[in-house]
Amino acid sequence: MSDTRSHPDGPRPDDDDGRQVWLTPPESMQHSLFIAAGVLATVIASYVGLVAIPNWQVNRLEPVMLDNGETYPAERSELAQKGKDVYIDLGCVYCHSQQVRQNDFGGDLSRGWGMRSSVPLDYTREETPVLGTMRTGPDLRNIGGRQPSRQWHYLHLYNPRITSPGSTMPPFRFLFDTVPIEGRTNVPVGRVDMPEEHSVPGHYVVATDRARALVEYLLSLDHDQTLPENANRGTDPEQVDR
Amino acid sequence: MTLIYGLIWGSWVVFGIATVWAFAWAVRSGQFRQVSKGSKVLFDEDEPVGEMTDAFPDVPDDQLPDPDNEGNDG
Amino acid sequence: MGDSETDLERDAQSRKAIDASARLPVVFMMASGVFWLLFGTVLAFIASFKLHSPWFLADQAWLTFGRVRPAHLNTMIYGWASMTGIGVLLWLQARLSRVRVPLRKSLIAVGVVWNFAVLAGTVAILAGGSTSVEWLEFPPWVAAILGALFVVVMAASVLTFVRRNVEHVYVSQWYLFGAVFWFPFLYIAGNLVIHGTGASGVAEATANWWYAHNVLGIWFTPIGLAAAYYFIPKVIGRPIHSYYLSLLGFWTLALFYNWAGTHHLIGGPIPLWVQTVGIVASMMMFIPVITVAINHHMTMVGHFDKLEYSPTLRFIVFGAMSYTLVSVQGSLTALRVVNETTHFTHYTIAHAHLGMYAFVTMVLFGSMYYILPRLTGREWSSGPLIRAHFWTTGLGMVLYWVGLTIGGWIQGQMLKNPDIAFIEIVQTTLPYLWSRSFAAALMSVGHFIFAYLVGRMLYEWATDRGKDRLPPMLGGDQ
Repeated sequence: MSDTRSHPDGPRPDDDDGRQVWLTPPESMQHSLFIAAGVLATVIASYVGLVAIPNWQVNRLEPVMLDNGETYPAERSELAQKGKDVYIDLGCVYCHSQQVRQNDFGGDLSRGWGMRSSVPLDYTREETPVLGTMRTGPDLRNIGGRQPSRQWHYLHLYNPRITSPGSTMPPFRFLFDTVPIEGRTNVPVGRVDMPEEHSVPGHYVVATDRARALVEYLLSLDHDQTLPENANRGTDPEQVDR
Repeated sequence: MTLIYGLIWGSWVVFGIATVWAFAWAVRSGQFRQVSKGSKVLFDEDEPVGEMTDAFPDVPDDQLPDPDNEGNDG
Repeated sequence: MGDSETDLERDAQSRKAIDASARLPVVFMMASGVFWLLFGTVLAFIASFKLHSPWFLADQAWLTFGRVRPAHLNTMIYGWASMTGIGVLLWLQARLSRVRVPLRKSLIAVGVVWNFAVLAGTVAILAGGSTSVEWLEFPPWVAAILGALFVVVMAASVLTFVRRNVEHVYVSQWYLFGAVFWFPFLYIAGNLVIHGTGASGVAEATANWWYAHNVLGIWFTPIGLAAAYYFIPKVIGRPIHSYYLSLLGFWTLALFYNWAGTHHLIGGPIPLWVQTVGIVASMMMFIPVITVAINHHMTMVGHFDKLEYSPTLRFIVFGAMSYTLVSVQGSLTALRVVNETTHFTHYTIAHAHLGMYAFVTMVLFGSMYYILPRLTGREWSSGPLIRAHFWTTGLGMVLYWVGLTIGGWIQGQMLKNPDIAFIEIVQTTLPYLWSRSFAAALMSVGHFIFAYLVGRMLYEWATDRGKDRLPPMLGGDQ
C-alpha cells in the first residue's frame, strides 16, 4: 500500500487517456487514513456503547436462589435444549416474541402473558435469546405455565385450527408421522389424541422426535418466578437505579 | 452504574474528538473553502451545468426541456 | 480546433475510459443483483401469501413461513441490495475520483464467490440452518466468506480514493467512504459478537439490533444518499443547492445513526439506559434527515418537470422523498408513546420496506437506469416498459405501506386492550395482509419487467447488436 505508484492497476504514462496525474500520493494517503479513522471512530463508539458495555453489564448477572430453594434461571433439560434448536430452525421467532414488556407499557401483563415483566436475568443462561420483534401470534415467554398440556401443544402444532379456531399459524404436519394401527400391538410413543373429526382413519398420528423436543421446550418456558431483591443488580428496566 | 455512565460518556467524548479532528482536517484542507466550486465537480465541458444527461429512450434529445442557467441560486 | 474542443474530447474520453474500466465488475454485480431480486421476490410473495392463507405450501419444512421469510430478507439484503449497491459504489467512486476502477479481476472474483455464498446461505436457511438472529440468519461460515469479500471491496475503494485525480472530495464520496469502512467493521464485529462467545443473554439482542439497524443506517443509507447526491444534480444539470448542508448532513448521520438501533427493544428486558440511548439518537436523526430533505428539495425546485423525461430522476427522487418519510417515521416511532402501540406489529414491517424498498431499492433502480447504458453502450429497449416498471413498483410500494401501516396500527391498539381476544386481532388484520399480497403482486410485475429490460440489454451487448440505437447523450453518433 505504501507505494501505490507501482501497483499493476495504477495509471501509467502510456495509458490511453494519459491524463491521469497523481496527487502527491503520500499526502493524499495520509489524508485518507485520517478521514478513515474519523469515519470509523463514529461506529466504533456505538459498538462500545451499545454492545460492549451492555454485554459487560448483563454478564455480571448470576443465577439466584429462590425462596423455594431452587436456582433461577434453571438449566433446561437436554431435550428442551434440542427443542430450542427446532424453535430456531423453524423460525418461530418471526411471529412470536419472548419478552413481557414493562408494567403499564402495552397490554402484556393484563393479557396474562406473565405475572411480572421480563428482566435481563431471565435470559442469562441463553446463548441465543429469541426476544422477537413480532406478535402475529401471542408472546410465548410463559407459554409453559399458561398452557401446560403436552397433548394441547401436539394438536396445536399438527393443526392450529383444531385448538384455536381462526388461527393463522401454519400447520406443522411435517413434524408428525402417521403409523398404521393394523398389526401394532402397542401404542407408539408420542401418539397424539386426535379428535374424531380430525383423525387419520386407520392410523395413529405420532409426534416425531423434533416435535417432542419442541413441545418440551415450550413447556419449559415459564419465567414468572418472583426474584429476590438485588438479583437484577441495576439491570431491571423498571427500576430507576442509582 | 457510575462506571457505566463514565464509559459511555467517555467513549462518546473520545470518538467525538476523533470525528471533530477529521472534520477539522476537512476544513483546514479547504474542503469547504470553494463550496460552490466543489458542488460542480460533477460537471465538465462535455456535460455542462444546464444540460440533462438522462432521458427515456423514446424521448428524442431535441424534445427535452430547454437547458437553463443554474436556477434560482441567488 | 480551439482548446475547448480538445477539453471537450478529453473529458468525454476520460469518462469513457473510466466507464470501460467499470464495465465487467459493475455489470456483473448488477446482473447478479437482478437475479437475487427475482429470487427474493418469489420468496416474498410466498411469505406474504402464507400470512393470510396458512394452508398454502404448508407441508414441507423448507417452505414454512419461519424459513421463507428470513430467506427473503437475506437474498434481498445480501444478494440484491448489497451486490447492486457495490456496483453503484464502485462506479460512483471511479467517476468522482476520475480514476479507473482498480482490482478489476479481484472484484469479479468477489462477485462470483459472493453469489455462491448468498446461495449457500439461502439454501442453509431453507434447510433449517438459520440462526434466527434477525438480519444475521446466514450460518457463521457463510458470514465469514462474505466478511472476507467485503474487505476486498473496501480495498478497491481505498485505492480509488487514494489515487483520485480530483482535489475536491464531493459529498457522495464522503458517504461512500463511510459506508465502505463502516460496513465491514459492522458485519465482522456483529457476527463475531453474536455467533462467537462474545455476547449471550439480552446483550446478544442489543448487539443484534445495533447490527440490524445499522445495515440500513450505515451501509444502504450512505450508498443511497451518495447516489441521490450524484444523480439528481447530474441528471437535471444543476449543482446541489447547498453544499454546506450536505456535509453537515453527513457528519450528523455518522454521529447519530449508529446509536439508534436499540429503539427496537423499547419496553423489553434490557437496561433502561440502553433503550434511552436509542431513543435519543433517533431524535437526533432529525438533523441529518432535514438537511438532506431541504437540500434535495431545493435542488429540484423549478426542475420537477424533468421527472417526465428521465427514468433515473423519477426513481431517485421517489427514493429521496421516501428517505425523508422513512426517517421521520422512524424517529417518531422511537418515542415510547408511539412505540408502545407499533412495536410487535405489521406497522414495523411497513416501515422496514419504506426504508429498504421505497428508498434504497428505488434509488438502486434509478442508478442502474443511468449506469448500465453507459457501461454496455446500449440504450434501454422500451420507454413504455420503463414507465410500467416505475408505476407498478411505485404504486405497489404505496399500497404496501398504507395497508400495513394502518393494519399494524389497528393491531397495536387492539393488542393494548386485554378485553379483545387475541384471535379477534388476528382476524382483523387479514384484509390488510391481503392488501399486502396484492401490492406484492404489483411490485413483482415491475421486477420481472425490469429483469426483462436488463436481460435484453445484456443480450444485445453480448451478441453485439443494437449499437445503432445509441443516442448522442450516451456517446452515440450525432
